[in-house]
Amino acid sequence: MSEEVKSPNYWKSLGELAKNDEYQKFVEREFPENATELNDQVSRRSFLRVMGASIALAGFAACRRPVQKILPYTKMPEDVVPGDPLYYASAMPFQDALAGIVVENHEGRPGKVEGNEMHPGSHGNTSIFGQASILNMYDPDRSRSVRKDGERSSVNAFASFCKEHFANTDQNIAFISEANSSPTYNRLKQQAMDKFSNAQWVTYEPFGEDNALEGNNMAFGQRLRTYNKFDQANVIVSFDDDFLNPAADKNSVENTKRFSDGRRIDETEDDTMSRMYAVESTFTLTGSNADNRLRIKSGEVGLFIYALASELSGSVNGLSSFSGVNNKFSDHEWIPVLAEELLGNRGESLLTVGRDQSPELHATVAAINVALGNVGETVSYLEVPHVDQESNREAFENVVNNLKDGTVDTVVLIGTNPVFTAPADLNFTDALSNAGQVIHLSDYYDETSKKANWHINRAHFLEAWGDGYSYGGTRSIIQPQIEPLFSGVSEVEFLNTVLTGEKAKGYDLVQQTWKSYYTTNFKNQWEKALHDGLAAEETFSAPSVSLSNDFNNRAQQFISDSGESEGMELVIRPDSTVFDGRYANNGWLQELPKPMTKITWDNVALMSKKTADKLGVEEASLGKAEVEVIAITVDGTTVEIPAWVQPGHADDSITITVGYGREGIGRVANKTGKDTYPLRKTSNMLFASNISVEKTGKTYEIASTQDHNTMEGRSLLRYATLQEYRDNPNFSSYDEAYDAELPGLAYADEQNEESPLSIFNPIDEEEYPDNQPQWGMSIDLNTCTGCGVCTIACTAENNIPVVGKREVSRGREMHWIRTDRYFDGDVNDPKALHQPVPCMHCEMAPCEQVCPVAATTHSDDGMNQMTYNRCIGTRYCANNCPYKVRRFNFFNYSKEYLTNGSDPEIIQMAMNPEVTVRFRGVMEKCSYCVQRVNRAKINRDIETNGRTQKPKDGAVETACQQACPADAIYFGDLTDPDSKVVQTKRNNRNYLLLEELNTRPRTSYLAQIRNPNPKLA
Amino acid sequence: MSTDYQYVPEPKLIKGDHTFGSITDLIAKTPLSPTPKLWYLAFGLANLLLITLLGAVGYLIWDGIGIWGLNNPAGWGWAIINFVWWVGIGHAGTLISAILFLFRQGWRTAINRFAEAMTIFAVMCAGLFPAIHVGRIWVIYWVFPIPNQMAAWPNFSSPLLWDVFAVSTYFTVSLLFWYVGLIPDFATLRDKAKSKVAKISYGIASLGWTGSFRNWWNYEKAYMILAGLATPLVLSVHTIVSFDFAVSLIPGWHSTIFPPYFVAGAIYSGFAMVLTLMLIARKIYGLEDIMNIDIMERMNLVMMVTGNLVAFAYLMEGFISWYSGYIYEQGIFWLYVVGPYAWGFWILMFCNVLTPQFLWFRSIRRSVALTFVISIIVNIGMWFERFMIAVASLSTDFMPSAWDYYSPTFWDIIIYIGTFGLFFTFFLLFLRFLPMVAIAEVKGVMPQADPHNYDEETQEFDAAKTEPVVVQQEQTV
Repeated sequence: MSEEVKSPNYWKSLGELAKNDEYQKFVEREFPENATELNDQVSRRSFLRVMGASIALAGFAACRRPVQKILPYTKMPEDVVPGDPLYYASAMPFQDALAGIVVENHEGRPGKVEGNEMHPGSHGNTSIFGQASILNMYDPDRSRSVRKDGERSSVNAFASFCKEHFANTDQNIAFISEANSSPTYNRLKQQAMDKFSNAQWVTYEPFGEDNALEGNNMAFGQRLRTYNKFDQANVIVSFDDDFLNPAADKNSVENTKRFSDGRRIDETEDDTMSRMYAVESTFTLTGSNADNRLRIKSGEVGLFIYALASELSGSVNGLSSFSGVNNKFSDHEWIPVLAEELLGNRGESLLTVGRDQSPELHATVAAINVALGNVGETVSYLEVPHVDQESNREAFENVVNNLKDGTVDTVVLIGTNPVFTAPADLNFTDALSNAGQVIHLSDYYDETSKKANWHINRAHFLEAWGDGYSYGGTRSIIQPQIEPLFSGVSEVEFLNTVLTGEKAKGYDLVQQTWKSYYTTNFKNQWEKALHDGLAAEETFSAPSVSLSNDFNNRAQQFISDSGESEGMELVIRPDSTVFDGRYANNGWLQELPKPMTKITWDNVALMSKKTADKLGVEEASLGKAEVEVIAITVDGTTVEIPAWVQPGHADDSITITVGYGREGIGRVANKTGKDTYPLRKTSNMLFASNISVEKTGKTYEIASTQDHNTMEGRSLLRYATLQEYRDNPNFSSYDEAYDAELPGLAYADEQNEESPLSIFNPIDEEEYPDNQPQWGMSIDLNTCTGCGVCTIACTAENNIPVVGKREVSRGREMHWIRTDRYFDGDVNDPKALHQPVPCMHCEMAPCEQVCPVAATTHSDDGMNQMTYNRCIGTRYCANNCPYKVRRFNFFNYSKEYLTNGSDPEIIQMAMNPEVTVRFRGVMEKCSYCVQRVNRAKINRDIETNGRTQKPKDGAVETACQQACPADAIYFGDLTDPDSKVVQTKRNNRNYLLLEELNTRPRTSYLAQIRNPNPKLA
Repeated sequence: MSTDYQYVPEPKLIKGDHTFGSITDLIAKTPLSPTPKLWYLAFGLANLLLITLLGAVGYLIWDGIGIWGLNNPAGWGWAIINFVWWVGIGHAGTLISAILFLFRQGWRTAINRFAEAMTIFAVMCAGLFPAIHVGRIWVIYWVFPIPNQMAAWPNFSSPLLWDVFAVSTYFTVSLLFWYVGLIPDFATLRDKAKSKVAKISYGIASLGWTGSFRNWWNYEKAYMILAGLATPLVLSVHTIVSFDFAVSLIPGWHSTIFPPYFVAGAIYSGFAMVLTLMLIARKIYGLEDIMNIDIMERMNLVMMVTGNLVAFAYLMEGFISWYSGYIYEQGIFWLYVVGPYAWGFWILMFCNVLTPQFLWFRSIRRSVALTFVISIIVNIGMWFERFMIAVASLSTDFMPSAWDYYSPTFWDIIIYIGTFGLFFTFFLLFLRFLPMVAIAEVKGVMPQADPHNYDEETQEFDAAKTEPVVVQQEQTV
């Protein structure tokens, strides 16, 4: 019992006390020791035991005043000022790519993950996974102990087991590892391969980079990593590549940064921006940011690429093998247009293909990039030292075959979970049962752990030392922020134990590796690398590439093998929020609406309206959250899953996502969604043709946060093409949007007023103290990609509770900033538009006028503030908010969320101590991160001896702004004419949401510009 | 004088051959006789519902507002609908007793006591909802301007605050008015009561009434002053309730037509409720002579007029939404008609626009059965009117991205049904222990009350006559 929580020093509560053995005994004995007890069969003592678990009786303990020690700092640690957070650089691994992060620590407890501005893979921003990783660390459902055959064991026992078991170095060992860029890990891996003569090492990722590496191998004869520089390209063609989505590209943060840099219009209509074409089946996040989008089946993307290569082959060298291609896309209107664009932008164009598409397509696209002279300009092919030199997929299949043959003595699985994720036709679970010993290191006691002889609980990356490379090759050290909460071991410590049978400290292992980098002056260089969060940039070399000699033969082979996709197609993708299932127990991610569907807590089968009509499936709509369940059968395996109409999906194609439907993982993941991995087989890792789909007649409720998908002719999200913008730079003004003057303006003119009059007191600038800043925000819809990281960042910063599927389906999600997604145009092929909506901080806020108890009021610095303690919960303010950004605590969400389970103190540690945790019956909403604002104001006040409280521009960043990889959010002081936010508000694209209501919002939007090719319009 | 017209006197207000004594006996009989079995049955049922209500409210306070079906756009739902509905019903009583008193409408005496009682209990039901619908009921006293150490005052610009004052004032004045009217009748009951408990109770309630000229003089003055005070309240309370909506900026709420439209709607529903209750009570308690068909017809006429006013308001809403050129107003009206809550709109149209048109027919106005049916339909219709205003407008307002469908839960429904328990518990107590018709006032409109035997036709006083000459009972033109 007492082992559950490693060290009771970090929190004090009755619940924890209840785990104490003496207390347990105390509970069981009604009377203190030595008091006389009745010894009859059904004693009152046993009755009490039946009556309540230790928690229920903890109340008694309160009456008896248990002695708990609180320990103040008697010697203040260096740099610690109670109340002031400390920031440490570190890095977050995701597959084999590190992103630089900075972790905010409150009194020794990591609280929030931000990007590291110096790190090229992060630029100070994060992905949704980066923001949510903190909750993964505080997940009380993580595995808490080593287990031997399911029984609790210890690391020491495991170490002595290793010493004995691995003494035989001739045994057949299969190492199955997740992708890992750590030089220390790879050093130990090499040692293991050297030590164990019959060992195999396989990197297994259900959604890895292998196809791209194989494709480049096919094209260039080397397994090189494709490194796209979207900012350098004028023309981007994305084939089924969702490179802005962290679930589809491990370098999404840098991609988004680069992509939005190429799209940003800072000054005027004379700026230029890149043009993106997307050819894809599913309506992806990236597709929704494309200027021209073509929806075709994933299985036919190859045909399209070959047709394009054929069209280009006449004008450029190197594509001759494609010259004779004639397929269904050869006469497609896009082909000549794309070819013309690409030829006109040689060296400034970029073609990219989806990670999970076949190596052949990666090879073809690489060949086209070479032919267009893009290599070295917009795309580089990098030599990555830790990448295996063989196809991971084939290697994994070999291992499984060896397992089936019974020729593997020991299987060591590191981090990965193939029992859940392996292609279904490999029967991995059965194969694994043939192994003599199975050892598994993982975060959760998961599907694979349950089949293993030894389960080792893994330390989170915020708890352990490590290192690694970013996608582009920047080397960093991973610094722990806290002692492992559940005594987990990191993958390097684990590997070392397997090798040596000894327990070693991760710190020593990492330092040992880094000593080879820093041969002189180690201490200083090491400390600098720790401090900066990175050591060396661009350590990967980019060899000059040319098409390999046998590419043409290979190309002719795969072109002739290619064919049209027949019947109904099934596309299998990782999920936008839970990825391959590894984030399934993360409540923040489960509750984050998926960017294109706005669905939470579930996976669905996406299809176009036409396909849905064909199947006789009805669309969900306002008031109809129950959708039909369809049965999808691939090669005799059937999975039942709810059907969802995704406007813009390719016809005769259905997309499903994996990662759901897990069992026995944790309170969040269990029984959430449907497990679709059984449909994924080695033959259809991305798509399957000719599947059969049937209606089941069942229905299923889906919790979607947006039930209505069009703007109903209201000009809420204003956008224009670049040409329209140039013709009419003021297109986003009210007058132009509605072709009418702003109501009340004519009368205001008569009264010599600038803006329409109001019966409510307008905010008089003279009433504001001169030393106060006036806060404002602007959101650039042109660079916003709609990824949703702002929502997660806000959740992490502002202690927003997770309310669960039932409450979301009732429309009670608590997010302070939401991303609205509208479809515009033809229902089968619409545009998708994204608009983040936080509180507008109206100067004449409708919410303030109606609150009967004045619980929401204006501050001196122009923020619309919510006083939780004064709120009685009439919800009138939320009703009267035209933007509908206020959120009500219908239940005691925070209490439910933070006191769930036997040791709630763990999840409580994920809370930001600077933000009030709201209780039942009060309203809440975006505060412009008032805690950050006030910290900056106080600091400024001190700096200037009270002269002013106006922080310098950039001194305050809101959580959403800080996380946004597209830098779409600006926040600052409106009284500072040079501030970035004022400059953006002067832009001619600036407009106010629902300006006609005269609420005078402080948050404004910059209209979106799209740059479609007029020839395809 | 030519002979082409005739003097047509008002039909007798009290039917049958009643004397003052028989009226007193008829009305005082109920409170003074033993409790009938049927009453116990009805009271038991009402108590059951009341207990259900208390349980449901207890659970609501224990667990949170989340047990209702509210969501993010629709922060108000059944609770506010029910509040407005009950307040609306609570309108008829004071209108009948105060405004019709000032207009010297003698027919009001047959129903004013009854309607006032209904008003008070309806306002009690109504008042429950704003209290329980807040998130933190334990601090609800913050809406009152209580001086406190933090100098935190309520926000006087909030219509909800105005509501607090409007409804509480209305309730207080209605209660006082009702009680003042009851004093002479309490004295009557005191005098007739046999049991000691009844004698003492009624005696205390009658405040030492002796029936002296001075008593009557004071009583009449007080009654008239209270009537004068209550009259503006009749108009103000629902005007202010309508401000909850009209002062906001939500399309479908933000509308200058709301105050008169709400007042008309309130009178409409109030009269419907009085009719529903009256038609049952007159049968059970044998009061057909007093609460007679003529009275019912007059009430039906009021319902017809207010019903058409309400229908006109609906039409004007549609017209203005088009004429304003305001896209959100147009949007919400269109959504009413064909949107997700269109079913509610068409129920409303049937109940509140189509149904009152039947009242153009005299035979329907004078048919007890049809009137009863219509009165119930009207009350259903008025509930749906508030449903459309509160829920449909909120659910689908400015930002389509935030639209969400509202549907009630079990607890919404049970609390609404439970308020009938509260209402009928009090109403049945009223029927059992208080005179349900104002004995003194009814006597005042009987022919016997005219001591001068004034003849309208001859314009002379004829001592021989005991009642006015009736040329023709039926109306001719």
